[in-house]
Amino acid sequence: MKDTKNENEDIRIGVFVCHCGSNIGGLIDCKKLAEYARSLPRVAHSEDNLYTCSETGLSSIKKAIKEHNLNRVIVASCTPRTHEPLFRECISEAGLNPYLFTFVNIRDQCTWVHMKEPDKAYEKSKDLIRMGVYRAAKLEPLEKIKININPTALVIGGGVAGMSAAISLCKQGFKTYLIEKEKELGGRLRSLHRLFPHDIDASELLNKFYSEMDKLNNLIVYTSCTINHLDGFIGNYQVELEKEGELINIDVGAIVVAIGSEVLVPNGLYSYDGKKVITQLQFEEILKLGQVNAKNLVMIQCAGSRNDDIPYCSSVCCMTALKNAIVCKELNPDVKITILFRDIYTPGTFYEEYYRKARENGVVFMRYTSDKPPIVENGVVKVHNQYLNRMIEIPNDLVVLSTPLIAREDNEFLAKLLKVPLESNKFFLEAHVKLRPVDFATDGVFVCGTAKWPTDISESITQGQAAASRAGLILSHETMEVEGATSYLPEHNKDLCKGCEVCIKVCPYKAIKKNEKGEIEIIQALCKGCGLCGASCTKKAITIKHFTNEQILSEIKALGGEVA
Amino acid sequence: MSFEPKILGFLCNWCSYAGADLAGVSRIQYPPNIRVIRVMCSGRVDPEFIFEGLLTGLDGVIVMGCHPGDCHYLEGNYEAEKKFNMVKKFLELINFENRIRLEWVSASEGARFAEVVTDFTNQIRELGPSPINKSEADKRLREKLQAMKMAVSNYRMRALVGRERDITENENAYGDKTPLEKFENIFNKAIRDEFYRHYILLKLNQSPKSVKDLAKEIEIDPSEVLDHLLILKGRGQVDMENIIGITPIYISLMEG
Amino acid sequence: MMSESKKALVIGGGVAGIQSALDLADMGIKVELIEKKPAIGGRMAQLDKTFPTNDCSICILAPKLAECYRHPNITIHTLAEVKSIKGTAGNFEVEVFKKARYVKEDACINCGLCAEKCPMRVDDEFDRELRKRKAIYMYYLQGVPAVMTIDAEKCLYLTKGACRLCEKNCDRNAIDFEMKDSTIILDNIGAIVVASGYSLLEDVNKKFLNTYGYKKFRNVVTALEFERLLSASGPQSGHIKRFSDEKSPKKIAFLQCVGSRNERLHNYCSSICCMYATKEAMIAHEHDNDIESYIFYIDIRAGGKGFQDFIQRGVNEYNIKYVKSKIAQVYIDKEENPVLTYEDLDSGEIKQLTVDMVVLSTCITPPKDIKDLSDSLGIELNEYGFIQTKPYFPIETTKEGIYTCGCAHEPMDIPRSVTEASAAAARAAELIKGGSY
Repeated sequence: MKDTKNENEDIRIGVFVCHCGSNIGGLIDCKKLAEYARSLPRVAHSEDNLYTCSETGLSSIKKAIKEHNLNRVIVASCTPRTHEPLFRECISEAGLNPYLFTFVNIRDQCTWVHMKEPDKAYEKSKDLIRMGVYRAAKLEPLEKIKININPTALVIGGGVAGMSAAISLCKQGFKTYLIEKEKELGGRLRSLHRLFPHDIDASELLNKFYSEMDKLNNLIVYTSCTINHLDGFIGNYQVELEKEGELINIDVGAIVVAIGSEVLVPNGLYSYDGKKVITQLQFEEILKLGQVNAKNLVMIQCAGSRNDDIPYCSSVCCMTALKNAIVCKELNPDVKITILFRDIYTPGTFYEEYYRKARENGVVFMRYTSDKPPIVENGVVKVHNQYLNRMIEIPNDLVVLSTPLIAREDNEFLAKLLKVPLESNKFFLEAHVKLRPVDFATDGVFVCGTAKWPTDISESITQGQAAASRAGLILSHETMEVEGATSYLPEHNKDLCKGCEVCIKVCPYKAIKKNEKGEIEIIQALCKGCGLCGASCTKKAITIKHFTNEQILSEIKALGGEVA
Repeated sequence: MSFEPKILGFLCNWCSYAGADLAGVSRIQYPPNIRVIRVMCSGRVDPEFIFEGLLTGLDGVIVMGCHPGDCHYLEGNYEAEKKFNMVKKFLELINFENRIRLEWVSASEGARFAEVVTDFTNQIRELGPSPINKSEADKRLREKLQAMKMAVSNYRMRALVGRERDITENENAYGDKTPLEKFENIFNKAIRDEFYRHYILLKLNQSPKSVKDLAKEIEIDPSEVLDHLLILKGRGQVDMENIIGITPIYISLMEG
Repeated sequence: MMSESKKALVIGGGVAGIQSALDLADMGIKVELIEKKPAIGGRMAQLDKTFPTNDCSICILAPKLAECYRHPNITIHTLAEVKSIKGTAGNFEVEVFKKARYVKEDACINCGLCAEKCPMRVDDEFDRELRKRKAIYMYYLQGVPAVMTIDAEKCLYLTKGACRLCEKNCDRNAIDFEMKDSTIILDNIGAIVVASGYSLLEDVNKKFLNTYGYKKFRNVVTALEFERLLSASGPQSGHIKRFSDEKSPKKIAFLQCVGSRNERLHNYCSSICCMYATKEAMIAHEHDNDIESYIFYIDIRAGGKGFQDFIQRGVNEYNIKYVKSKIAQVYIDKEENPVLTYEDLDSGEIKQLTVDMVVLSTCITPPKDIKDLSDSLGIELNEYGFIQTKPYFPIETTKEGIYTCGCAHEPMDIPRSVTEASAAAARAAELIKGGSY
């Protein structure tokens, strides 16, 4: 489909060939290149400069734009990856739309790599400049889209991670809704007794949070509250909540997911019965009441994890076992405790110390391998001891299983609602494990705490604060400018669209949707300009701004010599 | 003077283009035959571009993106691979597949970029100049490439390749996944069919022809030609113009 | 309510410092980023690949470096160190000592001509002294700011008054020997983030490593040295050749917990070594499919997201054998092949394994000069020598308004460092924008 805008415009291209000192000029004749450029169609002006990126060079460009009435600019020098923003700013100062600029790389990808073949490097530069000129002729001015940002946040989940996120967001100055499914805030903290590794009581930490939150007058807490429905995109979400039968509609700009996790109940494992064979969480209850009747305790680590069903290490179970063992020993120093482990997970400074403390308290550690797991029978745990190279039997009156944290059942519902992904274990999947650990790929939504992956309290708190920072930086601005080189469906192509939805499928950012009328809508605020939709569109209706089919095809044709 | 290939390269901004820049910063030398078009993501490379490159007389086309898992846009390179493989399958029909290549080059692999370019340039040099520029016999090759370009711009192939990952990697509503092999069979047949269909269309664009004419020019069985014509008729792209004696003559309903 | 013109100071230009700076800058807060080295990038720039996805380290770091450099709200001070601070949370005044670069940042275009002419060859710290650089140099190729630096201690002109070849050959007149070390005062600082990173055992205690053959036997290297060897831009361009005879090693042993979990030296766990040893073994195997690796460990620590799968892949696809046995000493045979003695738990026997190369997973330690830094800032160190933090709130230091993140306070991996960096930014923003702490 031809774009009719260009046809009436008198395209006047300016080409600026850079010597870059001797980096380019020392190998090829930049003056001759500029002359060649001048001979190409629609080139109104060309010149060569010693250092185009210097103040002198930039002034020269601005001067030429005014004097020769240029409306497209090409700089042939180093690499767009360093200086494209600089030159865009320069032409913008001279009154031209910054997208009417194109860069030709004749240094990093030409003179620097063909140093022994100056003639060929020259020929290559000519080709590249010609390609640039034909591309420039097809460039269009683009505007960055501005969207309004509602400086309000929603935190879903009132455990330590959620509370930390909400507190930080409020302190940064943003009104925040904190919603929690249960009747009270606190999450797992309410079921815990002693906290590792600093041995404080869980209620102490919980109270710290409560008193912090009391001071905040821009925090709105809804307990016994769930989320029904959500619409919108970054900066502009409309959310429908339900609290005890009542519907509440709120508008927010950013959302933080902090719904935590569940503890695996090991039905069918190690003769689990909830009485003589229990979980650490159940043991925690017993310790809270000070009622340990057992004299011989065996704890089994990795109970239900690091296997085919749940292949991961749940990272907090070893510390939990150590903690409960230490508390148990405090209540009754005579209790014999044996911990059967595969690898003890106590990384870092304090945790390793805690392991030592447990050993000093008389806890016995015995290693088992995954191919020879312990067998729990009536009053006895049979396990293969590597050092003795035989099975031994440990008499006991209580077995405590250290089971992993697993993803909550309602992760799927929330994932669909927010259009965010889950990974293979059904935990929420962040945008990038290393560099964007609390972001989702979809802008405006964030995740923290054990909803993302099993982790301890310190890290849940830190992740909550991190999510608050990432959400905060969006909410800090009244408006947000979205990159201009996005994908869009032009009006005149709308009737081409067959509704096949391939574009929706391939978009990595879920930026495309079908509206109520069944029309394809590309949410400009979410589009990153990758171009997958355009390359996949079955009717070639979608256009990728600044990298349109026409622009790319004209470059190809110019290279092949088919010039017009 | 010996033959010097002219090669077109599509480089993605975040990985391969950066890798090429790194080769430059490190002054690693490589042959000057490649001309680069920068795209933001290798997934932007429309199959049509590769055919355009070959049709315009370039001797080789190479697409370079990020290593799987590293794509700046998360999944673009996977799509790039699917599209590239489709182009490759088309080109295999005419023994042209050695003139294109897909490589993953990361932003830190300056040396690898140079290696890849050197290797590809040598490969093309050995293949010789692209045959489409030359004699009458190679005019047919040009037509075939044009037919392929039409095929990849057509709804059916684009829908198949656009949905490929979804079909083969995700479960459908019934919880079934289409095995890759089954998809491959459908895909391969579609490639062959659409190539011939668009070749027929191209021939009819030149002038109205009978089934026998077409079978002769395209070198397939008349019955196969008829099957394709019926599909094309159903798509509204061809029609019967008139009958000469007992022979129907078909025309293309497409413009240009 | 604090005025929004308060700035933030971030100490350390590694991935944590950079992330903190970017978050704060994106919130509209001006940031002064202080980095000791000539370029930002930190440890991550020295890595080849990063676990658990084995993606190229510099590729994912470089866009952040560029963003940092170009951000209108971030001012990067390289070759800079904090000397002292005055004031309290919300209103600090910071004294920063800046070493002279002797190269004009806005004139140098990094063409490299000066380095070609420089006659002084010096051990390259970035490459862990495995190769040489010149006295005028780029800290590393993709470094930001992308300009040269003159090592004042090794430059012939600055030490002996001779040469000046670099200056004579610079087209841009970018060399300026008149530059001097200076001290600047940064005021109006609302909050400080300490992201000073870590050192490694070999930086602080080479003697201890002699037991393992380090600096004694040529075929024993540390993990970071091995990383540089594996790196495409490192001294061996990724084609590992052991130092005694240039042969490509086929059997590599990784010794875990070197210096850590050790009551006589560092009793803590260095956290990341199980993962990075696996990673290095995987990359080595990718470069040469014949390589088999042995990882000698006490406990495998792989609790992070995707970490356990990573270890399993190492076993299944990369010919890595995990042997539970802590190696106490390394010997060599006549051909300089390292020999290890260990207990095979399955058979109960004492065995010997001869390998081609040994890689020591050395312990992460606090930076050598951390005491100077903590003294300058008036914050406490804990009993392990790292920055002391509040229980359950590891971003808080012992001083209001000063926050920390990453390995400055505890050994940790990149995902945690980046998370903490954002958390520190949140805390700093609460103070600067919200006025509360």
